[in-house]
Amino acid sequence: MDEKLLKKSDISKLFNEVKDEYNFYAPKKVRGNISFELISDAKEIELDYLNSKVPPKDVLFPQKETIFEYHYEGKDVIIDERKDLEDKLLIFGVRPCDAYSFKLLEDFFAFGEFQDDVFLKKRENATIIGIGCNEPRQSCFCTSVGGHPYQKESTDVFLSDLGDYYLVETITEKGKDLVKKLSWLTDAKKGDVEKSKALAKQAEESFTTKFNFDLVTKVLDENFENPVWEEIAESCIGCSSCTFLCPTCTCFDVIDENDEYNHRGRRIRIWDTCQSCLYTLETSGHNPRPEKIQRCRNRIMHKFSYYPSNYDRLGCVGCGRCIVACPVNNELRLIIDKILEIEQKEEGEKANA
Amino acid sequence: MVMIVGLEEENKEIESNMRELARGLLKEKKVDVIIGYKKGTLPMMSQPIIIDKEEDVDKLLWNNTCYVNLAKYLVPRVAKFVDPEKGNLKVGVVAKGCVGRALIHLASENRINLDEITIIGIPCNGVINRQRIEMEIGEKEILEVTASGNNIVVKGKNFEKEFPFDEYMNELCKQCKIRSPPLVSKFPDLHVGACEEYASIVDEFDDIAEFEAKSPEEKWAYIQDALSVCTRCYACREACPMCYCNLCFVDQNKPIWFGKTTDMPDIIVYHLIRAMHMAGRCVACGACSLVCPMGIDLNFINRKLEKIVKQRFDFTSGLDPDTLPPMTDFKMEDAEEFMLEED
Amino acid sequence: MPNPYIPILTKVKSIISENKVNDIKTIELQFQKEDDYKSFDYIPGQFAEISIIGKGECPIGIASSPTEEGSIKFTIKKMGTVTSMFHRSDIGDTIGVRGPLGNGWPIEELKGKNIVVIGGGFAFSTLRSLILYILDEKHRKDYGNVTVIYGNRDSGEVLYRDVLEEWEKRDDIDVVLTIDREEEGWTRKVGFVAAIVKEVAPSPDNAVAIICGPPIMIRTAVDELVKIGWKDEQILNSLEMRMKCGIGKCGRCNIGSKYVCIDGPVFSLAELKKMPNEY
Repeated sequence: MDEKLLKKSDISKLFNEVKDEYNFYAPKKVRGNISFELISDAKEIELDYLNSKVPPKDVLFPQKETIFEYHYEGKDVIIDERKDLEDKLLIFGVRPCDAYSFKLLEDFFAFGEFQDDVFLKKRENATIIGIGCNEPRQSCFCTSVGGHPYQKESTDVFLSDLGDYYLVETITEKGKDLVKKLSWLTDAKKGDVEKSKALAKQAEESFTTKFNFDLVTKVLDENFENPVWEEIAESCIGCSSCTFLCPTCTCFDVIDENDEYNHRGRRIRIWDTCQSCLYTLETSGHNPRPEKIQRCRNRIMHKFSYYPSNYDRLGCVGCGRCIVACPVNNELRLIIDKILEIEQKEEGEKANA
Repeated sequence: MVMIVGLEEENKEIESNMRELARGLLKEKKVDVIIGYKKGTLPMMSQPIIIDKEEDVDKLLWNNTCYVNLAKYLVPRVAKFVDPEKGNLKVGVVAKGCVGRALIHLASENRINLDEITIIGIPCNGVINRQRIEMEIGEKEILEVTASGNNIVVKGKNFEKEFPFDEYMNELCKQCKIRSPPLVSKFPDLHVGACEEYASIVDEFDDIAEFEAKSPEEKWAYIQDALSVCTRCYACREACPMCYCNLCFVDQNKPIWFGKTTDMPDIIVYHLIRAMHMAGRCVACGACSLVCPMGIDLNFINRKLEKIVKQRFDFTSGLDPDTLPPMTDFKMEDAEEFMLEED
Repeated sequence: MPNPYIPILTKVKSIISENKVNDIKTIELQFQKEDDYKSFDYIPGQFAEISIIGKGECPIGIASSPTEEGSIKFTIKKMGTVTSMFHRSDIGDTIGVRGPLGNGWPIEELKGKNIVVIGGGFAFSTLRSLILYILDEKHRKDYGNVTVIYGNRDSGEVLYRDVLEEWEKRDDIDVVLTIDREEEGWTRKVGFVAAIVKEVAPSPDNAVAIICGPPIMIRTAVDELVKIGWKDEQILNSLEMRMKCGIGKCGRCNIGSKYVCIDGPVFSLAELKKMPNEY
């Protein structure tokens, strides 16, 4: 049998086995929040968690990262490219929605003529240990975006939580290399695999939030101009929590940080957000999206209309972080409802005519 | 003395009074629109709602999850508060004490014309410290939150836990001395409902005593630790009714005052400079901390500044629209030992 | 493929002040390595992200034509932080260049067509590039008649006087220069660009109009063209948007599902009409 078993009490063994070869990232509790952090001691790893507050996207696409460093020699500039992009990474305990977000990010950063080396190299060198969700939250909706609480897309090794131990499935060659190093893993029995399948089914059936996104995309494509956007934007305070916690948001700003006196510095990129008025503000003062309504619309259109038209898939993985994060509770489910009402109204009008 | 039977009954009473006031205002056309709260879609959430019809009055809600400072929606006015032909509409604002204070303070800064507003006063009984409850519940999903007696009952799959409201109230609410919106006698038409006259506010600032007792090194470590998880999303700024600048100092690029990263120095500069801008202006609504996606508590910084302003200038923000906030005013008797050497 | 965020380093070769108020300069950049120059294979209408390392980067249309070999030129108006720094730069300073970026003018599709170039003010740089490209002896036979209408607020704002004078002398290009108001010593046209378009009334037959300038000029000039029978497909426009990366990653230059940096900056009026009005 290919499947193995990993006792939860053996996580430290796993960590110690691979920590020299990989930069090991795992869920860790920081000031009460779960986040994916570089682990230096196996005790830091949190095994009992729903999902991280900030998605594991930030391991591969951190909030702030150096593009290159430079120094001046007289009028000449010497550019020092990053060397750490070749480091091997291991991200432990990624939920299926977040793992799927890596697929989206990968395709986005590789799209077109220009390849985003900074992201893609890290992605190439990352091994992902995914973990199935036994208890999806009410705000979760991965099954509506083509995902599943036990989806293995973009994972190299996949874990099922069977109580005191994990069922370990090898998904890719990269995963095989990793599992090979853990010779002490015991073989799984048929019952363990069955149990995992039962959990997957149970999880799938427990979803309370479901959307028909095909319809949403269709309605959005036809309704860039619609009074509903005013309604949607009404209570938004533009805080951008939704975009900052989104596993598929990729927008960034580029800034030079110059150490004037030492004639050196770095060019960095930091997360930016389409919810900020300054995001599109031009030097001339002209702003293509000066109003909140345009910015709210851009976020929704981007995920559910522009993304499908450019990449033939939704720009959302159904993690539900934006639903929980919105401080004024102007959350995605309500927004989608309002969008679908446009269609219902039209249908109603047709029926009356 | 009124016997308080329990939180739920208390909220119901506040709610039904509020609805009657709102109904009356709309019926008599004393206001064009009303902004208040309605039921949220998550267990510990409410939503801002704007209504202009009598029949929608029953959507208005009062409970201990009405966090948002609704004054935010008046500066600048949201589209529904402006009529294309008539101009600014008369807005009724469901106001707990801190919302009332925010409105009055914004009037002192000429951001709001009080003639265009009616304050629907709520005798606020405090909001839940949502972050604290979430942290204590930990990695379990909260499915239902109700009130029972004076306890908040939190339920989820396979668990149920009670939190005494007195203890699990937002820290600022515990200290709050201005639960109902302040009366401004110069504007008799400004108020309906539970508004109160506050002569002079006595505040012991007990909540920051622990912070103040720390040595400078400990304080510094505490501040750094508290702010370390900040993602610089600026939700705190966007939720703050006093943050209405067209271009915030963090966004200026001529010159760029400081870095935009999440490196510790940049985080610190952002929060401390923002705090300075709040001195004598913060109305202690706690919106900044309540909206923080990372659960950072900024209140200790704001309260410390509030205390300094109170001690130095005997000023409490949001009580009088005609008194200039101390940081925008100058008086001969202002203490200025920070400007001049003592000896 | 090299990391697209790493700029090629060039040196400032020459600096020309282009207007009387001295807020527009053309900076000529010299590549340090022959390979770098060769890899910078561009067509008119493309742009590059140019930077003073340590001060920041900004997208600027390429003003030189690929036919002007050996260096590249950018015409920069002093507007914000980075462009102001460019105005302070000296000969020999290091400038980072990432590019060429964007689609550029469709030089292949324009072959065999009559070309009407309409420009206003400072937005003439990539038009300069295009006209020089067409007038080059290797390419001139590929294109039909060339008409240039170029308007400015006053005579002090007219860019590229040297090439304009050369073009005026040639008989294979019609150059119509205009300024908004009468001025002593000005012998060319007077009036807004739209009025001159109406007067010149370029024929839409087998022709393409290429328009760059302030939004109000574009709108009024397009109105005149449409009145005399031009179709939306025949009218090309180059857009400007706030950009950071220039390669379709940083997000901000989207108009609907299109990105100005990779799908543009050149769009036909027909394409623009299908896009949301967010530019």
